[in-house]
Amino acid sequence: MIQVNNLHKRYGKFPAVRGIDLTVQQGEIFGLIGPDGAGKTTTFQILAGVLEASEGQVEVLGRSPRHARLNIGYLTQQFSLYLDLSINENIRYSAGLREVSRQHLAERRDRYLKLMNLDRFGDRLAGQLSGGMKQKLALCCALVAEPDVLLLDEPTTGVDPVSRREFWDILAKLASQGVTIVVATPYLDEAERCNRIALMYDGKIQQTGTLKQLRANLGLHRLEVRAQRLAEVETALLQAIQRKKEHDQEHQKTSSLVDIQTFGDRLDVLVHEHNAGTAAVQQILQNQRLTVEAIEPVEATLENVFVTCLRQQGADPPFISLPRSKPQYSTRRAADTAIQTQHLFKTFGHFRAVDDVTLQVHYGEIYGLLGANGAGKTTTIKMLCGLLEASGGQISLAGQTQDLRSPDLRRRMGYMSQKFTLYDDLSVLQNLEFYCGVYGVPRSERRRKIDWVLEICGLVGQEDTITGRLPGGWKQRIAFGASVMHEPEILFLDEPTSGVDPLARRQFWRLIEDFARRGTAVLVTTHYLEEAEHCHQMGFMVAGTVVAEGSPSQIKAAQPGKLMEIVTNQTQLTADLLKTQLDPWRVSIFGDRLHVVLDQPDRQVPEIQAYLQHYRFEDGSPLILQSLRSVPFSLEDAFIGIVQRAQEKSL
Amino acid sequence: MFHKLIDRLLNSRIWALAVKEINQILRNKQLIFLLVFPPTIQLLVFGFALSPDVQFLKLGVVDYAQTQTSRELVSAMTENQIFVAQDHLFDEEELAKQVQLGQVTAGVVIPPDFDRQLQQGETSEIQVLIDGTDANTAGIANGYMTQIVQQFSHQLQANPRPMLIDPEVVFLYNAGLNTTWFFVPGVLGLVLTLTSSLVSSSAVVREKDAGTLEQLLMTPAEDWEILLAKIVPLFILMLGDVFLALTVAKLVFHIPFRGNMLVFTAVSAIYLFVGISVGILLATISKNQRQVVLTSFFINLPLIQTSGAIAPIESMPTFFRYLSLLNPLRHYVTIARGFLLKGVGIMELWQPILALIVFAIVLLTFSVKKFRSQLS
Repeated sequence: MIQVNNLHKRYGKFPAVRGIDLTVQQGEIFGLIGPDGAGKTTTFQILAGVLEASEGQVEVLGRSPRHARLNIGYLTQQFSLYLDLSINENIRYSAGLREVSRQHLAERRDRYLKLMNLDRFGDRLAGQLSGGMKQKLALCCALVAEPDVLLLDEPTTGVDPVSRREFWDILAKLASQGVTIVVATPYLDEAERCNRIALMYDGKIQQTGTLKQLRANLGLHRLEVRAQRLAEVETALLQAIQRKKEHDQEHQKTSSLVDIQTFGDRLDVLVHEHNAGTAAVQQILQNQRLTVEAIEPVEATLENVFVTCLRQQGADPPFISLPRSKPQYSTRRAADTAIQTQHLFKTFGHFRAVDDVTLQVHYGEIYGLLGANGAGKTTTIKMLCGLLEASGGQISLAGQTQDLRSPDLRRRMGYMSQKFTLYDDLSVLQNLEFYCGVYGVPRSERRRKIDWVLEICGLVGQEDTITGRLPGGWKQRIAFGASVMHEPEILFLDEPTSGVDPLARRQFWRLIEDFARRGTAVLVTTHYLEEAEHCHQMGFMVAGTVVAEGSPSQIKAAQPGKLMEIVTNQTQLTADLLKTQLDPWRVSIFGDRLHVVLDQPDRQVPEIQAYLQHYRFEDGSPLILQSLRSVPFSLEDAFIGIVQRAQEKSL
Repeated sequence: MFHKLIDRLLNSRIWALAVKEINQILRNKQLIFLLVFPPTIQLLVFGFALSPDVQFLKLGVVDYAQTQTSRELVSAMTENQIFVAQDHLFDEEELAKQVQLGQVTAGVVIPPDFDRQLQQGETSEIQVLIDGTDANTAGIANGYMTQIVQQFSHQLQANPRPMLIDPEVVFLYNAGLNTTWFFVPGVLGLVLTLTSSLVSSSAVVREKDAGTLEQLLMTPAEDWEILLAKIVPLFILMLGDVFLALTVAKLVFHIPFRGNMLVFTAVSAIYLFVGISVGILLATISKNQRQVVLTSFFINLPLIQTSGAIAPIESMPTFFRYLSLLNPLRHYVTIARGFLLKGVGIMELWQPILALIVFAIVLLTFSVKKFRSQLS
């Protein structure tokens, strides 16, 4: 369907794409992942016939992309909709552009709107839809011409997990109907749902393969380590890796531990081999007299693949701790509450945006506020920051309940919102100097702090660049640096990592963890559930209320039932069949696997097994059930379950 | 001691805010352009368009007399190309119609007994019709016409006696024409209004547009610090604009500058605060830059129209004449004319100056309050 040979694209002298080859088969979901500036969007634009390649052959459907345009659907990051037109009008407009006949239009519109669950809202203005619905509508508009190829450039950025999962289920369905899909995404858990994945960096494809192949190429395995004194365990293991590295250089031997990543209540250790790795970890911790609660061998994630691959390319942003000037306050009052709300309310007219929220964040704690778009996360943060007046309830910040907008209190807080909060027309240095000044960082220390931000962003020597010319991911990192230079005691982060590539996200979280360890209370919202694992505590918000609270492990453990992974020879068909038996949200497709949530596994598993085994195709051939096993809940599974159950309850 | 004070200033939030604003202004080529070119060009264009050097005005002639003297009078009128004889018509009604249609700007009617009256030494009355729609041109046309006819009278007789020909000028559509050389001070006020309101509103709304306002409000900076840091650099720039406009007025239009210029600068400064407050108000009620520009039309155009900057206040209906007392620009224009042309001072102009001060205080307070209320 798509054939690309030795594709090059240069903008002036700058090479954006430097020789990529790829082949995509019909009905395949092909994922393209990579950090900012890897050349993904350029590749998409060439495939869509919007840009001309500088060199190399590109064939889509056996023709040049420009000629195949009528059969290509292209979705960009921004919603390419007319917000002041209704759903129906938007669809009619794009059908008109693509010369779809009137009979076809009516039939396809009904079919696709039904598929997207939008059929009830035909007259609603596109501007009034949520982010997830807009993307579904944009997909509808692209589909109305029944394209053979769909090109989706980060279609789900900024869309909440529930909508994202729906979106991907639709993609899986389309692929099973023979549509070829190429998709880019910054969410690596989502990319795992592709049939094949290509990892792009620096204008080249570094690796291509199925998830399984990529894992095998990586040759590494993951251990989840849980322990009481996590910080000390991490330090001990890191030292061990460091020592091994030095040792290795002499002996040319590979060490058993490769990498460590800290999460809210566990460590991920990458090892060459499960058993030897486990033994090594235990050995190291025993030497340090540290106890472990559990070491669980699991499969490497796509993120592990991604990070390891990019590290080899030397793309890892450095982790440097902020040079401090204030004393550490972690030991002094770790037990104290930094942020507290009691029965917090916010109403807009009759609409209850935030409904009776009570939460508590201690110093040194990272608290994650998770929820779908419009669940009330941002409203809650804004009320805590004093940007919005609460309709009811109490707020206490750093022990203060009165005068929450006083400059004195705000000097002790940091805030970063999902929008880039830098002045685009100023240079990086001017921006940083401004935030230093306005937060009252003493002048003698400004240089050090600014240097720190430049260093973590890899912008040393480029501080006079105009901020607006930097890519989004970089701006986010500078904005983060700008909001913490004054060493806040309380830090509010509203989707700080949206649009940031996985490597930079990792650095982000190491920095956030570093702040927490030094006693800063962090309240963070995020759409990336893989990333929410970094939180110590989290609250799930649905329709303005907190419906579940706890550590990541507690939340996952509190999920009723089990998550089953099912592999058959007919993935889409199996999903469709199971959806007739179970609530549709319980079934989702991950590449060639199915994830199914069962509340009463003891009873339901045999039922499902029997049901699938007895199914016969029209020609009498059976559906082959290749495997059915229980897998641990991911936070995303937990999230979807919690949201769906809460919604069921409210109905 | 002094050193410490400087250090405290450099460490203060307001300094950081002001430096940021200045950096943004310096980066903003559009703003610099907005501050320099439109005021200069507006002043030049309006100034020359409304200048007294009127030429080629179309003149309709109804010559009932048809004598040599009457023809000489007409040629005197058209000699210096201020008027061009467009048409020789046969009756007044037709002339009136042509004026109405705008086909001629002025018309002259010479009575049949023109020669006879002159020979008898009587004063002959000729009628001059001038289209007063364009008040300024009409005023100028009137001035020239009067002069030409007077000179022609002088030529008719060596020893001056009471006037032989007395032109009786009738203004159509615009009776209370003010013939003073008033336009440059008026345009000065107009230019300051437009520039100060647009520039200040764009500086404030830009934060909203870019989403940085929220971040700014989360910093320890207080609302008044934020606004002060925005207003002060703009104010200084706008003062530069005042001097630029005055320079143009002096060098190009030779405005006499009769009054105390120091006091006039101070009054202009007060007026700038009015313009800046209007700008902040605009920015507060608008969501983005585009909306600001559109809304500013609704405010700035009526302000200018009812200020007497271009059309005289006397030509407005009574209701609007009183309403214009609520227009700060009207007071500023009055003051500017007083200082620049007539050379009068505070003693005579205390009323409009007081009005301006009141406007500045009320508008500034209101707009700062409004700005604060949008935050929560």
